[in-house]
Amino acid sequence: MSNGKVTSIDEALSNVHSGSRLMLGEFVGSGQPEKSIDWIVEKSIGNLTLIVCTPGYRDKFLMDRLFETDLVSELISSHVATSSGSSDAYLTNKMMVRQLFPMGTWAEKVRAGGMGLGGILVPVGIGILDQPGIFPNLEEPKPKLTLNGKEYFVEEALTADVSIIRGWRADPLGNVEFRHTGTINQCDIAMAGKYTIAEVNEIVPVGAIPPDRVGCPGIFVDAVIQGYSLPEQDALYRNNWIRLGILEPEEGAAE
Amino acid sequence: MSDQLESRVIIAKRCALEMKDGDVINLGFGIPTSAADYLPPGVNVFLHSENGCIGAAGKPATKDADSDRTNASGAPMTVRPGAAYMSLTTSFGAMRNGYIKTSILGGLEVDEEGNLANWAVLRNGHWWPGIGGAMDLCYGVPRIIAALQHIDKAGSSKVKRRTELPLTGRKCVKTIITDKAVFDVGSDGLILREALPGLSVEDIRAITEARFEVAPDFKPMPI
Repeated sequence: MSNGKVTSIDEALSNVHSGSRLMLGEFVGSGQPEKSIDWIVEKSIGNLTLIVCTPGYRDKFLMDRLFETDLVSELISSHVATSSGSSDAYLTNKMMVRQLFPMGTWAEKVRAGGMGLGGILVPVGIGILDQPGIFPNLEEPKPKLTLNGKEYFVEEALTADVSIIRGWRADPLGNVEFRHTGTINQCDIAMAGKYTIAEVNEIVPVGAIPPDRVGCPGIFVDAVIQGYSLPEQDALYRNNWIRLGILEPEEGAAE
Repeated sequence: MSDQLESRVIIAKRCALEMKDGDVINLGFGIPTSAADYLPPGVNVFLHSENGCIGAAGKPATKDADSDRTNASGAPMTVRPGAAYMSLTTSFGAMRNGYIKTSILGGLEVDEEGNLANWAVLRNGHWWPGIGGAMDLCYGVPRIIAALQHIDKAGSSKVKRRTELPLTGRKCVKTIITDKAVFDVGSDGLILREALPGLSVEDIRAITEARFEVAPDFKPMPI
């Protein structure tokens, strides 16, 4: 069996350029493609339009460093302040935020992008997000439509030049398996990218992932790259949670 | 215990009494999340976590913390028997379409009509910090409980005649729980149901901008 879609991080990430529209799997810090983010920070690829559910977690941790190093010129998200880097970039006008979306709206816009739809009709925020002064950077008022007597926002689909998701295991066909809450909307993000990279803890042979456990079918994935192993990834997150006072240091943990 | 810590505990304890055994509930960031620590004995609820879990439970030991099992605050969690994972879009569909019956949310301001503001203040001329999942909850969850301090740091009532900040939800709040009082939001305005033990109706009027009626069975907060 050939390596199929399995490739090096340098090869896969060479598709991310200055000015790219980049979509990343993530939810308040979890499920991030860790090594890919480190690679982008290291290569200092900037002027990115970043499309993420939330912009990372607290400070100095993974995605937050994209903002701390001024690599993001525009953010399309539900929040600006889950990380301090994003919050600072927004408040000091280093980063454009045209509007914020309710998280469910953001997720459906991404799904629409992946599913080949032009957009969706969303009732959430009517009478609130269409009020004057809420989004001063928005050139036009948010478009609305009335259907069967009910008012909706017409929300355009979101797509990206490059999407990077993070899963547990992937095979050379690009099939990806997720663990626990790591599923988030990684598959929708994969589908919404013109070029999609799956960063995973483990690369396994074709057939190793039971078909009913494939969370993102390989047809939506262009490249598979080796991320941190699961023990390495657990250690990375545990150490960050200990640093932030969310978990006790390991020595003190009850058996 | 500082006054502020004390008031957070009062709110969390009172919120816990709103949860019934077997309820599926979404708890917002901050004080509402800590309400789960004060559930009465025998009351077990299924907590919904926006990232995609019903049945979210407490913090694991450090050695058991799994980087792929996290809650809506980005912190490690455990899950209770009967828990279910789902995708982000399914999780938000459950919120938007009324499948999650109760949510307890923090607030910056709440008013006589049950309008809730909790996502934006002006900072450096920008609305900040962001919406997250709160607007989807206010839109779709039939029973929204607003949990907030009665008075802000400047001494102003957060229970107002009319909210001034950008709203999270319009006419969505059914019950308001503060560190001083509990109100229901009725069709004709607020109804004072409870006050902190030792506080009179007049004490509550003195610290509340909103107008309110007093319930016939008005009583001290049972905490």
